[in-house]
Amino acid sequence: MKLVIAGKGGSGKTSISGTMARLLARSGRRVLAIDGDSNPNLALTLGIPIERMNDLPTLSRDLLRRTADGQELTRTLAEVCESHSLTGPDGVSLLVMAHPQHAGTG
Amino acid sequence: MRSVIEASPDEDVCILDTEASPEHLARGTGRHADAMLAVVEPYYKSLETGRRMAVLGRDLGLSRVSLVANKIRDDRDLEAVQEFAGKHELELAGVIPFDEALPGAERAGAAPLDFAPQARAVQAIGELAGTVCK
Ligand SMILES: Nc1ncnc2c1ncn2[C@@H]1O[C@H](COP(=O)(O)OP(=O)(O)OP(=O)(O)O)[C@@H](O)[C@H]1O
Ligand SMILES: [Mg+2]
Repeated sequence: MKLVIAGKGGSGKTSISGTMARLLARSGRRVLAIDGDSNPNLALTLGIPIERMNDLPTLSRDLLRRTADGQELTRTLAEVCESHSLTGPDGVSLLVMAHPQHAGTG
Repeated sequence: MRSVIEASPDEDVCILDTEASPEHLARGTGRHADAMLAVVEPYYKSLETGRRMAVLGRDLGLSRVSLVANKIRDDRDLEAVQEFAGKHELELAGVIPFDEALPGAERAGAAPLDFAPQARAVQAIGELAGTVCK
């Protein structure tokens, strides 16, 4: 199940994404939460200390390869998560797409 | 980002928290998702943005697109969202009450689930999760 959370600024996307991720993980699912905001703040709602985010390498262009209809990962998602994700409370994996200074790699 | 979504295995749950801009979605971020929840507050601009995003989601071919009502304070708020959803033939997947526990958690620098696990909004998000990821 791949779920996109959309909506107007400030509507509650991040609160809902983070809390849903934690609750689904508690119910036994393997959950990957992706922060696609160029000003990432999903970590807090997941209960991951902000300091830990600073150690996180962001996804860089060399992980992506151009294809006819867009881009694909040059490594498996498991490998990308291994090197680029954080594991937070209840075992939720967090992948952060961009830091403000790296905006546009998504 | 859409490459990451595409690559994630189906048996797991992958939740993508997006930026507020419709352009973001239109670029195809959502294309490989199965479902979209458009979070709306009970006022016109928020509802209208949610509707536009839902339409984009449908155009991208997502099999399930629905609204989620958030920060609902009373029956009037709820009726406003229900009426809007009905008028535009959009499913309302969940209703989350306005709850001080969420900004409270934020001020405390904690996750809502750790700060106030019994809060009504947290419970409602749990119900939503159950509805969406059966
Ligand atoms: N049900 C609710 N009741 C009360 N306050 C809420 C509720 N949901 C979210 N909020 C508050 O509204 C604000 C915005 O929430 P949040 O950051 O989740 O929205 P967002 O859509 O991710 O915002 P952005 O577009 O900036 O990413 C936060 O202060 C949050 O605590
Ligand atoms: Mg947000």
